[in-house]
Amino acid sequence: MGLLCSRNRRYNDADAEENAQAAEIERRIELETKAEKHIQRLLLLGAGESGKSTIFKQIVYIFLFVYNMQIKLLFQTGFDEAELKSYLPVIHANVYQTIKLLHDGSKEFAQNDVDFTKYAISNENKEIGEKLSEIGGRLDYPYLTKELAQEIENLWKDPAIQETYVRGSELQIPDCTDYFMENLQRLSDTNYVPTKEDVLYARVRTTGVVEIQFSPVGENKKSGEVYRLFDVGGQRNERRKWIHLFEGVSAVIFCAAISEYDQTLFEDENRNRMMETKELFEWVLKQPCFEKTSFMLFLNKFDIFEKKILKVPLNVCEWFKDYQPVSTGKQEIEHAYEFVKKKFEESYFQSTAPDRVDRVFKIYRTTALDQKVVKKTFKLVDETLRRRNLLEAGML
Amino acid sequence: MAGAKEGKALDLKTVICELESSTMEVPSVFVCPISLEAMQDPVTLCTGQTYERSNILKWFSLGHNTCPTTMQDLWDRSLTPNATLRHLILTWFSHKYSALTKTLHHLHATALHLLDTLTKVKGQNRVRALKHLRQLLDCHVSTRKTVLEHNALPLISSFLGPFTSHAVGSEVIGILVNLDLSSDFKKTLMQPSKVSLLVDIMNEGTLQTKMNCANLIQILFIEANASESHAEFLSSLSLLVGLLRLVRDKKHPTSVLTGLVLLNIVCSRESVRTSLVTLGAVPQLIHLLPTLNNECLEIALHILEVLSTLPEGRLALKECPNIIPNVVKLLMRVSESCTQFALSILWAIYKLAPQECASKAVEAGLAPKLLLVIQSGCNPVLKQKSAEFLKMCSLDYSTGILISNCMLTATIQ
Repeated sequence: MGLLCSRNRRYNDADAEENAQAAEIERRIELETKAEKHIQRLLLLGAGESGKSTIFKQIVYIFLFVYNMQIKLLFQTGFDEAELKSYLPVIHANVYQTIKLLHDGSKEFAQNDVDFTKYAISNENKEIGEKLSEIGGRLDYPYLTKELAQEIENLWKDPAIQETYVRGSELQIPDCTDYFMENLQRLSDTNYVPTKEDVLYARVRTTGVVEIQFSPVGENKKSGEVYRLFDVGGQRNERRKWIHLFEGVSAVIFCAAISEYDQTLFEDENRNRMMETKELFEWVLKQPCFEKTSFMLFLNKFDIFEKKILKVPLNVCEWFKDYQPVSTGKQEIEHAYEFVKKKFEESYFQSTAPDRVDRVFKIYRTTALDQKVVKKTFKLVDETLRRRNLLEAGML
Repeated sequence: MAGAKEGKALDLKTVICELESSTMEVPSVFVCPISLEAMQDPVTLCTGQTYERSNILKWFSLGHNTCPTTMQDLWDRSLTPNATLRHLILTWFSHKYSALTKTLHHLHATALHLLDTLTKVKGQNRVRALKHLRQLLDCHVSTRKTVLEHNALPLISSFLGPFTSHAVGSEVIGILVNLDLSSDFKKTLMQPSKVSLLVDIMNEGTLQTKMNCANLIQILFIEANASESHAEFLSSLSLLVGLLRLVRDKKHPTSVLTGLVLLNIVCSRESVRTSLVTLGAVPQLIHLLPTLNNECLEIALHILEVLSTLPEGRLALKECPNIIPNVVKLLMRVSESCTQFALSILWAIYKLAPQECASKAVEAGLAPKLLLVIQSGCNPVLKQKSAEFLKMCSLDYSTGILISNCMLTATIQ
C-alpha cells in the first residue's frame, strides 16, 4: 500500500513537473508572440548600389554600439547567440564566393593582361584553385572544414591571387575579403560561432535576405520600439516572387542614389541607372501588399551628387531633361536637389491610387557613409512611425 | 496744482487706454452714463447725477436742458467737480495698472528667460521650453512684442532644419503663427525645404498643429501675392495633397473648413489648378459634397467651378459617377452663390457632350430648377444664364418631354 502510494506520488510529481514545464513553455511562446506583434518590420529596397546595404550596416553599427553601452538596460535585442549562429552559412558562403572570384579573376587577367605572368597561379595551387572555383559556383556550400580552410589560405597567399586582389574593384571583390581570409582558422572551427564583428563584415548575399533586430533607445528609455530591418538583394527577376512576403511591414525604406543620373547599369550599358531606379520605385509603389505601408524615400549619395552636379548637368538623364540651372555654387546644388526631389514626388503621386493617398510618404536626404546623418535620419523615421501608430490607435 | 492735475490726468488717460485692451471690468459707478466709458473728469449736476465733463457739455450744446438719466429739467446748469469720485477712479485704475504691469513684467521676464534657455538646451528640454514659450505667446499678446524686440526670430527659425523632429517643428510653427513676421522672414520660409517640413508637420500633427500650419501657409501665400514673388512653393504637390487630406478629415470639421478655404485661395494660381486636377481633387471634392455644411459647400463648389475652367477639370467632372443629378440637386437648395457655381459646373460638363448630357440633365430635373431660378429673386446675370441653359437644353432634347417636365413641376408648385 505504502509503495503504491509512494509510486503514485512519484507519478504525480512527474506529471506536475511536466505540467509546470509545459505551462512555462506556453507562457514563453505567448510572451514571444506578443513581443512579435510589437516588432515593427522595415524593408530596405532599392536598385543595386543604391547604398541600401550601407544603410543596413550603419544601422547595425549605430544600434549595436548603443546596445553594448547599455547591455543591462535594454531588453533582448540585437545579436543573441541563435542569431549569430544563423550567420554562419552566410559567412562561409562569403569565403567561398570570394575565393572563387579571386581565382576566376586571376585567370581572366592572365588571359587578357599584358603582364600575364603576374596573374598565373603557381602550379601547386592550380588544382585547389579549380576545385574551390567549382565549389564557389554551387548553390549549396559545404561546411568550411579545417582542410578546406587550409586550402583556401594557401590559395589566398599565392602571389597571383594577391596581385589580383590589388585590382579587386574591377572584379566586385567585396571589402570583407581581407578580414575573412585572415580569420580562416577561426572560421573553420567545429564550434565556430560568428562574433558580432564577423557578422558586420559579412556580405549580404544578393539572393538572400538579411535581417537585424534592434531597438533605438529614445530619450525616454522605457518605451523603445523594436524594429526588425530586412535587406533584400537587388536582382530584378526574383523580385516578383518574394515581394508579397513583406505584406504588412510597417515601412519600406527605399534607397535611391541620386548621384547616378549619369551612370548606366552594370548589367546593361544602355540603361541609365536613374531610369532603372524610377521604374523600380514606381513598381514597388503599385504593389498590392504595400497598400497601407509607409514609404520612406532616402535620396542617397548626396555627397557625390553635390560634387557632380556642378560638372555634369542633370539633363543628361532623360527623366530630368526639363531641368534649367538657375545659379551656381551652393544655391545651384540646392536647386538641383529640390528638382530631383520634386520629380520623385511626382512619380510617387502618379503611382499612388486615390485609395492609398493616406499612406505616409516622406523624403530624406542621406549620405549613407556618414553615420551621424544616418542616425539622425533614423531618429526621424522612428518618430514618424511612432506617431503613425499612436494615430492608428486613436491616441492622437 | 493745475500742472499736477494735468500730470495726473495724462497718467489716467494712458492708464485707462492700456487697461482697455485687457478684459477688466470697470465698476459701474466709475462709468459715464452718456459714453459708457470710465470718467476722467467727473462732474455732478444739481440732480446729483455724475457725468464726464466733456460729454455733459456736449449734451448742453445740443440744446438739452435736462439731466440725461433722470430726465428732470435742470434748474441749475452748474457743474460741480466730483473730487472724491475722481480720486477713487484714479486710485482704482492705478492699483489695477500696477498689478497688470507687475504681471506683464513677470511674463516678459519669463519670455526672456525661455529665449535664453533655448540657446542652451537640446532634446526634450528644448521641446519643453518651446512649448512653454508657445503657450505664453498664445495667452498673452504683450509677450509677442517682447519676443520680436529681442530678435528671437533667427534663434527660433534656426530650429527648422533638415533634421527637425515633429515635436520641435510643431512647437516652432505654433510660435511663428503668433508673431508679426517681417516680409523678409516670410520669404525665407518659402524655401522648398522649409515648405516640405511645414507640410510634413501638417500631415502628422494634432488638430491644433494642422491649423497652425494651415494658417502659416495662408500667411505665406498672402505675402507671395503682396510682393508678387513667384511662390514656387505653392506648386509643391505634397502641399496640395496635404490640403486635400485636411479636407477629407471627417473627424474634424474645422480641418475641413480650413482646408477648403486654403484650397480656394491657392486655386487662384493657374499652376495649382492643373496640379489639383492631376491629383484627383475633382472626384474627391464631389464625393465630399453631401457631407458638407452650407458654408463649406459654397467654398467647395467655388473650387470646382474654378477647376471646371480647365479642360482636364471638365473631363474629370464629367467622369464622376452621377455627377449631373448630384449637382442639379444643389440648385436653389442652399444659397445664390451655390446655385451660381453649380450652374457653371453643369454648363461646363454639358458643353463637353451636349447630346449625352441633355438627357441626363432633363432626367435629373434640371429644367424645372432652371425655371425656378429664372422666376426667383436671384441676380439678373444668373437668371440670364439659366435662360440660356434652358434654351440649350430644349435644342438638344425633345421639346415635348421638356415642357411636360416643366409643366409637372409648375402644377406641383
